Amino acid sequence: MIECPSCGRRQASLLICADCGSPIAAPLDCFAALGIPRKLTIDLGALERRYHELSRKLHPDRFASSAAPVRDASLHATATLTRSYRTLRDPVARGLYWLELNGEKLAENNKRVPPELAELVFEVQEQLAEMRDAPADSDAARGLAAQVAQRRGQLQATMDASLAELERNFVTWDRRPDEKMLTFELKAILSSIAYLGTLIRDVDRALENSKAA
Amino acid sequence: MSRIFGIDLGTTNSLIAAMEDGAPRVIAVGGNQRALLPSVVAIAPDGAITVGEPAIEMEPHLTVERDGRVAAVGFAGGEYGAVIRSVKRYMGLGGDEIAPEDRARYTFADLSGPVVRFQIGKRVFTPSQISAEILRALKDGAERALGAAGKEEKVERVVITVPAYFNDGQRQATKDAGRLAGLEVVRLVNEPTAASLAYGLNKREAGNVAVFDFGGGTFDISILSIKEGIFEVLATNGDTHLGGDDIDRVIVDWLLAELPDALKLDRHVWNSARMAAENAKKRLTDVAETPVVVELPGHSIRKHLTRDALERMAEPFLARTLKRCELAVADAKLTPADIDAVVLVGGSTRMPLVRQRVAAMFHTEPLCSIDPDQIVALGAAVQASVLMGMQGDMLLLDVVPLSLGIETMGGVMERLIHRNTTIPTSVAEGFTTAVDNQTHVDIHVLQGERELAKDCRSLARFKLGPIQPQPAGVPRIEVTFLIDANGILNVNARDERTGREHSVDVKPSYGLTDDEIERMLEEAIDLGEQDLEERLLISYRNDAEQILGALRKQLGEFGALVDDGERARMDEVVERLEAARIGTDRDLIAKLVEELNEVTTPFAERVMDAAIKLALEKKSVEELS
Repeated sequence: MIECPSCGRRQASLLICADCGSPIAAPLDCFAALGIPRKLTIDLGALERRYHELSRKLHPDRFASSAAPVRDASLHATATLTRSYRTLRDPVARGLYWLELNGEKLAENNKRVPPELAELVFEVQEQLAEMRDAPADSDAARGLAAQVAQRRGQLQATMDASLAELERNFVTWDRRPDEKMLTFELKAILSSIAYLGTLIRDVDRALENSKAA
Repeated sequence: MSRIFGIDLGTTNSLIAAMEDGAPRVIAVGGNQRALLPSVVAIAPDGAITVGEPAIEMEPHLTVERDGRVAAVGFAGGEYGAVIRSVKRYMGLGGDEIAPEDRARYTFADLSGPVVRFQIGKRVFTPSQISAEILRALKDGAERALGAAGKEEKVERVVITVPAYFNDGQRQATKDAGRLAGLEVVRLVNEPTAASLAYGLNKREAGNVAVFDFGGGTFDISILSIKEGIFEVLATNGDTHLGGDDIDRVIVDWLLAELPDALKLDRHVWNSARMAAENAKKRLTDVAETPVVVELPGHSIRKHLTRDALERMAEPFLARTLKRCELAVADAKLTPADIDAVVLVGGSTRMPLVRQRVAAMFHTEPLCSIDPDQIVALGAAVQASVLMGMQGDMLLLDVVPLSLGIETMGGVMERLIHRNTTIPTSVAEGFTTAVDNQTHVDIHVLQGERELAKDCRSLARFKLGPIQPQPAGVPRIEVTFLIDANGILNVNARDERTGREHSVDVKPSYGLTDDEIERMLEEAIDLGEQDLEERLLISYRNDAEQILGALRKQLGEFGALVDDGERARMDEVVERLEAARIGTDRDLIAKLVEELNEVTTPFAERVMDAAIKLALEKKSVEELS
């Protein structure tokens, strides 16, 4: 139960008072904050409309002349709303948040190479090392940079495929919720996406450096 | 509740605006019905303060006297008093953060502290105090203009705009300035976002808008998505040290290239060259080439500047702005072709080259029907009315420009809130102790995009505690970092087991502490009443001086346009005003300024006609030759 700072009514946790419509700084999970069911598949258009509708009611700009406790509630409620929207809008952030809700998280720094990526990762690291060692502004360096740039395209394609698979799995998991299995599979796919993300960043940096040199 | 006004506290000029009959309008605060108040503050050796046009007159520069002699006039800095221009470049900076090119311009007290301090005579001034003087001049000017129009009203609550790319410290310093000026700063709004409000783009279909804001001292680019009255900023980028000032500096270097170094650094010489450079740059918006003259004692520099040459000088700066645009568009997950409209803001966007390049980049002709110098203030007035609940469903969702994080093991920056996150937003992070019976945890908050803490800007340090002595890792303290709608950080800590709030004593790494602000406020209140009277008197005197000066100049050039009867009436009022100006009766001065305005209006109109005719004749002669 939570008390509305404007009208004092005690009620179940919500960001908006059921009585007077004022903001309440309720500690809510991301789904509850946006008032949507806890599901992995989300209609992004509807989510955005819901976010805009709630923002109009909660945002500090609406309460610039209100009493301090109401202004404070508006600030915290909007912060919760914004964070929730950004988390749920992005499929990867949504997946990670789902793990968190179930008391799990990806291994710290995600050092272990996911087995299905091992070969690709090895080749990329090899190329990056060669590129670093090649004398700057030589034909060899330029040739390697071109190869790495091509490799980046391959990495991006793998990433896109993993993201598509994640979204496909969301649909399946929502239909047949098996907590244990779900967590296991979700973890596997999210850790390969995270790993790919780091790899793409490294490649981009190396390419950026070679351009600057 | 009193009305909320919109203020553009600019690097070069400042303005104040408010809604009138449903539309934003700037308020004429300067003499001669001008809305632009130059952001220039003169401080005399005795501490007397002058703001705006009259302060420019006191800038150290060289002037040609009647007998043809070149004389150095103005406050030369340090013990001789100083004229501070572009104070915004110094807002929120620590002494060690001043750009090298900004260092030589003024005399500073101790540059090792957390706040830049200008040394003027025996007194020191922080940038927030100087900015507060500009805000006060806007407040007084607006109250005077409203009073004169028969609409007595106090300016107490304001929205102040800041560059989107301002960091936490620069925002805090701006808020401090408002407080020091006795204003309630209801909201800080990002300049490009404010500008997007001024065009009423919400009345269009949904779309993506880029706001290109190239001012005197700062550059911002913001990408917004507008949908059903919601202005959502998708990404912002910029450089708080990139503006028209930089182009002026290159022109000055070129103008003074042949002078010995010692003379180049002379404040009188440099400023005279800067004025000449700025004027030449402005002229080249309309003409293809122009002479540039700097009069020095016993010598004058006469050069010719073409628009082509100016554009070559401006090119590196423009390239930097376009690079920022690319980054912002990519951060918004868009391509330049997705941008439906481009809004131009800031005086530097008057350069034809800037317009061409921006149009080429976004494949669309930029919107420029609203004066780029006024658009931010107008938008601030719109946002003020949103805050008063008078704009229906319209709502701004802005972002934080720089990532926020904490220093972790090995001096690495751990990002907690990423740049371009919609504000307000918060994140909670758990902390614990590393050794048994540890009673405090030190936390270092950073802002920036670099990997290492030492390359990011230090925002604040604080100690969590006192913590009950317990084995390492047992205490659980949850710290909430909240960025409010002004883009300013607030920190809260809570003991997770007891649920007790911890007090967090945040020591900002830069900027003023609350105690220092309190002290400055107390000092200001002591002098308050007297200050106000004096300020009003000074501002009326300045008005009088301005109108008298302008009239003298016009009579000198166009004396033939006045008939004897008219001249006699003018002389009579001038004489009374000259006498009143020395006295302390400000109402009398105001009344006589008004009276003089009235008797000289027909003459002023004739002068205007004649001047235009003359300019046209001259132009056609130039075209023929």
